[in-house]
Amino acid sequence: MGLDAVEASYFKRSSLWKFTVVLLAVILFVVIIVSLNVGYAQIPFEHILLILGKRVPGISSVIDSSVVPSVEEMIIMQIRLPRIFAGALVGAALAAAGVMYQGIFKNPMADSYVLGVSAGASVGASFAIVFGAGLTLVGMGAVQVAAFTGAILTVFLVYSISRVGPKVPVTTLLLSGIAVSIFLSAIVTILTVISGNKLHGIVFWLAGGFFNVEWVDVWAVVPFILLGILASYFFARDLNLLALGEETAQHLGVNTERVKQVLLVLGSLVTAAAVSISGLIGFVGLMIPHITRLLIGPDHRVLLPASTIIGAIFLVICDAVARVLTGAMELPVGVITALAGGPFFVYLLRKKKASYGM
Amino acid sequence: MVLLNIDGIECRYGSVKVLENITFFVKDGDFIGILGPNGSGKTTLIRSISRVLKPYRGSILLDGKDVYVLKGVDVAKQVAVVPQESSIGFSFTALDIVLMGRNPHLRRFQMESQRDFEIAKKAMVLTNTWHLAERPVNELSGGERQRVIIARALAQEPRILLLDEPMTHLDIVNQLEIMDLIKDLCLKQRMIVLAVFHDLNMAARYCTSALLLKKGRVFSAGTVEEVLTAENIREVFAVDALVRKNPVTNSLYVIPMSPQKPVHNRQCSVHLICGAGTGAALMRVLLDDGYNVTAGVLNVLDTDFETAELLKVPVVTEAPFSPITPKAHKDNLTMISKARVVIVTSVPFGHGNLKNLEAAVEAVKNGIPTYVIENTPIERRDFTGGKAKLLMDELKENGAIILKDQVELLSILKVPAEQMLETRALATSIPGHVKNGGVEESREKDMD
Repeated sequence: MGLDAVEASYFKRSSLWKFTVVLLAVILFVVIIVSLNVGYAQIPFEHILLILGKRVPGISSVIDSSVVPSVEEMIIMQIRLPRIFAGALVGAALAAAGVMYQGIFKNPMADSYVLGVSAGASVGASFAIVFGAGLTLVGMGAVQVAAFTGAILTVFLVYSISRVGPKVPVTTLLLSGIAVSIFLSAIVTILTVISGNKLHGIVFWLAGGFFNVEWVDVWAVVPFILLGILASYFFARDLNLLALGEETAQHLGVNTERVKQVLLVLGSLVTAAAVSISGLIGFVGLMIPHITRLLIGPDHRVLLPASTIIGAIFLVICDAVARVLTGAMELPVGVITALAGGPFFVYLLRKKKASYGM
Repeated sequence: MVLLNIDGIECRYGSVKVLENITFFVKDGDFIGILGPNGSGKTTLIRSISRVLKPYRGSILLDGKDVYVLKGVDVAKQVAVVPQESSIGFSFTALDIVLMGRNPHLRRFQMESQRDFEIAKKAMVLTNTWHLAERPVNELSGGERQRVIIARALAQEPRILLLDEPMTHLDIVNQLEIMDLIKDLCLKQRMIVLAVFHDLNMAARYCTSALLLKKGRVFSAGTVEEVLTAENIREVFAVDALVRKNPVTNSLYVIPMSPQKPVHNRQCSVHLICGAGTGAALMRVLLDDGYNVTAGVLNVLDTDFETAELLKVPVVTEAPFSPITPKAHKDNLTMISKARVVIVTSVPFGHGNLKNLEAAVEAVKNGIPTYVIENTPIERRDFTGGKAKLLMDELKENGAIILKDQVELLSILKVPAEQMLETRALATSIPGHVKNGGVEESREKDMD
């Protein structure tokens, strides 16, 4: 009888989940190594391995990297690697936040930008580009700091608008997110109109990408993104229960208001941090959670880590494509994700219309 | 022992009071039905007890501890809720959903153990959903999904089960199976059940006691027999109802009647000669259309007598199962003399009620228009060895009008025949009716 198999598969579930996550991590590692080889300058793959090997404790002493020109080492270590790291972090952050928001809102169209993070960051970044580009703050660019601040302030505003006493009804939250986003988009438009010769900068930032990402930018957001994502795992089972509706989740012992508040803060934090280094990159936060759900099911205990890693893999690949597609003149990665994501999403919707699962 | 103590709670949505001064307590093994019309606060009471809507005043004590002071998880270990509607996001399987019932018993990063799985499986077998285990719950039918939700509540291993109209999506077999199961848990495991019911008969069948709410207050509380009286039902639901004992289940049953329309001029008086349920539907329709209706002679306990009582139709009565005495006959003639029309239904005639036919003959002789409904020929309902047939012939000779069924009568009286439909269902649902071949047949034909 098939149901004995159900029983067996349920007990293998936990090890299957672990295996999935480890496998995805291995894939991410391979993708990172391979994408180091992608770029305008041709660098032999052995050289890349030598450059990396030199930095691995234990085997560094046996590696002779004297054949590698120092310019190649500079390109790999100072240009490509920080940029790939940034891509992985941003992809992970957007996908994880997407899972959190879709879980909280029980809405398939929710993504990491649903609370106006993108609009807030755009206003911040545009302001900085128009009025104060070139300034730096504790080693970071003014644009990055302004984007982060704009994003956080916006989420705070949306949250305050929607709050009714101690509660935050999700429908109100969604709607005020939309309202605030529309308002802020208008401000961005005003800024682009008055930006003069800085228009190019704004447009490029809005399209999203990883030009000129340096280690310092990466280190600035690592704590927010990693800690934010890790903390969200504490609420994985609560997210499952929220799928039953808030009241039922409460009946099953979930402190729904607290879970919602904590996850909204975590999601906004990781998204704001991500957006501050990459600009607006669409579709990752919407699509990756859906794809992952189709691949491994809706249980957030595996969905959260798996989406995180798949998001990282996806964005690293997209960035690699962006770097080589048009030769020396590279495309913003946001264009690649949207080009890949839009049609793929339509394909998924058509194929899985009935059982799309929301 | 007292387990759950609802102590003078008042609940509000914003500034609107929804519940006021609700006080009751619940002991092990109680099965309490929460009854009342829409908007009387039933669901609010469930929400309040289940720690979702904090009362504005008063408290809800579980083993003497305020549920709003206890942690949600600790309450969830003891109290499970089956809501009215469940929409489930994402394509979780039925087994996933039932396993979620184990949540209050698990620590934060703890995975479900073999034991949790066994408990979930048992709950699914009991609710007949185990075969659905791997199906995405969104693809199940409403009834299947509701049974999965009930399994989830059972997997919580609660001491108290709160059900908010749990039967909405279930067909009749599933309703009975699920309620039997819950009743069984109530009896064997001393589980407490508080259930909101719309169907008063379901409540009467399963509950040990009932709480009748009206506009947010307790209108009546006590045993089902104490609460479900015709009077209470009329007061709270504003409908008349027949309340009887079901001979099969020995529980009460309630037959609601649709609210009576106000009638402006009751001038024309109609007297019905009926019995054994043949006149019940007519009484109702004629009253609704503004006729003054009288009836007689009817034996006390006759179905038509009960209907007449309920509709407050004046009746000349006779003792149960007794032949019509000269006194009753005389009263009947007096009543007939005041009528403008006499109607004789397709009632079977025996020696006991033959006098009624004589009364009809008297009426027609006195010039009162008399209609005889004859959808069963008199030969087949004459249990007097031909005496009834003779009287019937005499009726016809004196000018009584023979009609083939009630519809024809209604068209003559200009009563819309559709009104029969509603009352027809009512008449057929009145149980306790003697299933005498002739009677049954005549009724069936009446109805058609």
